[in-house]
Formats: sequence, structure tokens, C-alpha cells
Amino acid sequence: MKIFKALNTSVGKKIAMAITGLSLALFMVFHLIGNLNLFLGPEAFNGYVLKLKKLGFLIRIAEAGLLSFVLIHVYSGIVLWLKNKRAISKTPSYSITSTPRASRYTLLTGSFVFIFLVMHWSTFWYKFNFSKGNKTYYEIVLGPEVGFGNIYYTLFYIIAIGLLGYHLKHGFDSAGQTLAIKGTKYEKTYYSLAAVFWFWIPFGFISIPVYFGIILRLLG
Amino acid sequence: MNINLNIWRQTKESTAGKFVRYRLENIDPNISFLEMLDILNNKLIKEKQEPVVFDHDCREGICGSCGFMINGQPHGPQKATTVCQLHMRAFQNEDELTLEPFRAASFPVIKDLSVDRRSFDRIILSGGYVDINTGEAPEANLIKVPKTNADEAFLSAACIGCGACVAACKNSSAMLFTSSKISHLSLLPQGKKEAKERVLKMVATMDDEGFGSCTNTGACSAECPKEISQANIVRLNKELIKSVID
Ligand code: HEM
Ligand code: SF4
Ligand code: FES
Repeated sequence: MKIFKALNTSVGKKIAMAITGLSLALFMVFHLIGNLNLFLGPEAFNGYVLKLKKLGFLIRIAEAGLLSFVLIHVYSGIVLWLKNKRAISKTPSYSITSTPRASRYTLLTGSFVFIFLVMHWSTFWYKFNFSKGNKTYYEIVLGPEVGFGNIYYTLFYIIAIGLLGYHLKHGFDSAGQTLAIKGTKYEKTYYSLAAVFWFWIPFGFISIPVYFGIILRLLG
Repeated sequence: MNINLNIWRQTKESTAGKFVRYRLENIDPNISFLEMLDILNNKLIKEKQEPVVFDHDCREGICGSCGFMINGQPHGPQKATTVCQLHMRAFQNEDELTLEPFRAASFPVIKDLSVDRRSFDRIILSGGYVDINTGEAPEANLIKVPKTNADEAFLSAACIGCGACVAACKNSSAMLFTSSKISHLSLLPQGKKEAKERVLKMVATMDDEGFGSCTNTGACSAECPKEISQANIVRLNKELIKSVID
């Protein structure tokens, strides 16, 4: 089939990477809106998590979808990165390259985000679903075990989201070209949203550990 | 003017190369860069040394034969200019110039500054053509081409296949070259018929030849002597998406 032929090419893999990457970025918007409930207090946040739980198997389907998107994205990213390593000459060029920095470190920033994701699932997600004990969701998130009561976890979280923003700084731009949005009438709208995705959304995520994990701690 | 050159000397792909220093004095600033190398080679031949090998043919910026790196820039510092059209007046007296071949795994070194770019030819061979009967020229007004398409196709067709885009890319990607060759056909009615097959075949060949993938940084267009734009890469991506969707 044509689609497999296309996905077999480097450009096809880039397109898969762009679609999955943008979908994940879009998912982050909803994730953030949910997280911001933390600022409204325990009832609001616990109520929000319970509402999600009520959706039952729909949530499981969405989770499976997200996981497969992450895997497709990471797989294509690594395959292409390896291809690029092989493509460059064995004799290094003595020339100076002027490539934008964010684009050189996508695999590095992406890998860090992946480690973060694994940790994120094995802590929050696992606890929420299987080992909640008698704690509320709010208490888990802000608690000292895996939550923002733990300064190391807080700092790791801030760094990981920061790097994700940096990843998207190039990623969002790049996806506009990969998906041929550039040159259409949607180009302006698309690129005007770039800062929302690479700066404001990560900023929103980071505001939570900064407030609960650092500011509140300093205030005693 | 006096010029100090660091030139990459390598006898073939499998042997190690190294930079060798040369100095030329009293060079007329109005000669071309390649004429300066001709002077160097005359001198080397007289001294019974191996001349520096570099590619060239038309020396008027249209054939795509010439091309190497000058101080880390493909075709040197002047924008939108092939190295054959570059003049010594673009440099200062006593400048240090480092010349090295275009570096990419898919461009093995033939000798010194000359690299084998037949990988480009194989990309073209896999689909960069139209299958139409030749013979008598058809009536020009029979096939209508919108002016904007004609202009865009012309800009894409300006690619001379020099390989500077690959040399400029951190991934040694041939996307700018391949996309310009796909664009100039897909923009015109004559090229539409084979559009879907063409993009799949040419991209697959580009991959098989070992070129890297595009990360949309735009380094290629910035160094292209014919100013081939990123719009071509967008068009290639669109063609590939279209080949799957309909
Ligand atoms: C989980 C680990 C991840 C890895 C290893 C990874 C790796 C990569 C790599 C190598 C690229 C190629 C960049 C380029 O074109 O230069 C990329 C692009 C991209 N990534 Fe990620 N990434 C990861 C996570 C994410 C996440 C979580 C998101 C979204 C929230 C994301 C969004 C994007 C987008 C939008 C692109 C642009 C696609 C394109 O170039 O067209 N990535 N990623
Ligand atoms: S796109 Fe530009 S740099 Fe690349 S081969 Fe064509 S003319 Fe040379
Ligand atoms: S020699 Fe023909 S383009 Fe330079």
C-alpha cells in the first residue's frame, strides 16, 4: 500500500513525527487545564480527577492512544537520527555550522522528556490508579513521596518541562513545514501559535511546581 | 593582493587527507576564484608538484560542476554566487582561506576538492523526468499554464545540482535538491501525471543513497547559489502527503 511505502521513507517518518508531536502538544493544553485545578484547592482538583475516572474505559483508550503516539514519535525520531549520523562524512568538516541550536538538540531534549514521562507514569499515574492508599489525589501530587513536596522531584519536573519547551521551540516550527502548513492560508495563524506551545504551555506547567514546591516551601 | 591558502589534499576516498598551505602573491583582485586556483596549479606544475583537483566546466554559474567550501561556506562568502562566479575582490589582502571539499557520506572524495555527486544523478534517474512523446513541438497555447506556476517552476528549475545544500546541512540532507527537482515538474501540467509515483520514487532513492533527513533548519537555502527556497521542501512534503491521501 502507498501509505506503507510513504512511511518507509524519511519524509514519511517526519510526517508521522510531526502529526504525533503536534497531537501530543495539543494534548498538553488539556492536561494543563486539568492541572491548574490545583490552584483552586483540594476539592476542585480531587473532583476533577474523579470526573476523569468516571469516564472509565474511554480514559484507557485515550491513554493507549497517547502512549502509541509517544512510541511512534520516539521511534521515528531515533531512526531518523541514526540515519543522519550515517549520512554525514566521516571526516568532520572544519567549517563552522550555523544551524539553530534548538534543532541540534531535539534528540537530547526529547530523550530527557522521555525519561521524565516514564518517571511521570511510574509515579503519579501508577499511584493514582493502583496504590492510592488513603491519600487524596491532591495529597499525592503535593506530597513528599513523589510529589512537589519532594525538592528533587520538583526540580526534575521543572527542568524536564523546560526542555520540552525547548524541544517544541524547534519542533513546532519544523512541523509547520513538514505538514505543508507553510504557504497555505493557515500559515499565519499556525506560526502565531508557536509561542503558546513552546513557551506559555510549558510555563503553565512549571508554575505549579514553582508555586507549590518552591514558593510555598520558602514561605514555610 | 596576497592570499594564504589552506587546501585539503587527498588522493582518493580511502586514503587520509590533510590541509596543505600555499601562498600566492600579487594576485589581481579582478580575477575569478578559479582563475586564482589555475595560477596556483600552473605554479605547482612548474615546480613538479601535483596540481589541486577541483571541478569546473562552464565557469558562468549554470552547469553546477564547481563547488567546494571556502572558510566553512559552500561556494564561499558571497550570497547567491557559485565559486566560479566569485572574484578575488570579495576577499582582503593577506586573507587566510581554508578550502575543503563538500563533506557528506554520499559525496565520496574523488581527489582533493572534487567529490563524486553521481548520487544526485541517481535521484533524477528514479523519477525526475516526464514520460511524453517527443517529436514535433506541440502548439504552445494548447497547454495552459498559470503565470504564477510558470514563474515558480522556473525558480525551482534554476537548481544546478551543485550539492552545496547537502554540504551546508548538518544532516547532509539532499531535500532541497530533490524537492526542487520534484517541484519544477509538479507545478506544471506535464508533470502532474506521474506526480504520485515520482515523489515516492525520488524520496526513496534519496534515502537509499544515504542522504540524511531534513530537520527544517533552512541552512541549505541560505547557502544555495541559486537561492532555491524552502517552499520547495514544503511542496515535496505536500506531494508525499497527497500521494497517500488521494
Ligand atoms: C518522548 C521523547 C521524545 C523524543 C525522543 C522526541 C524526539 C524528537 C525528534 C528527534 C524530533 C525531530 C526534530 C527535527 O525535525 O529536527 C522531534 C520533533 C518533534 N517533537 Fe519530539 N520527541 C519527544 C517528545 C515529544 C513530545 C512529548 C512532544 C509534544 C508535546 C513532541 C513534539 C514534537 C514536535 C511537534 C516535533 C516536530 C516534528 C517535525 O519536525 O515536523 N516531542 N521530536
Ligand atoms: S538546491 Fe541549490 S545548493 Fe542544492 S544542488 Fe540545487 S543549486 Fe545547488
Ligand atoms: S563551473 Fe559551471 S557553475 Fe561553476
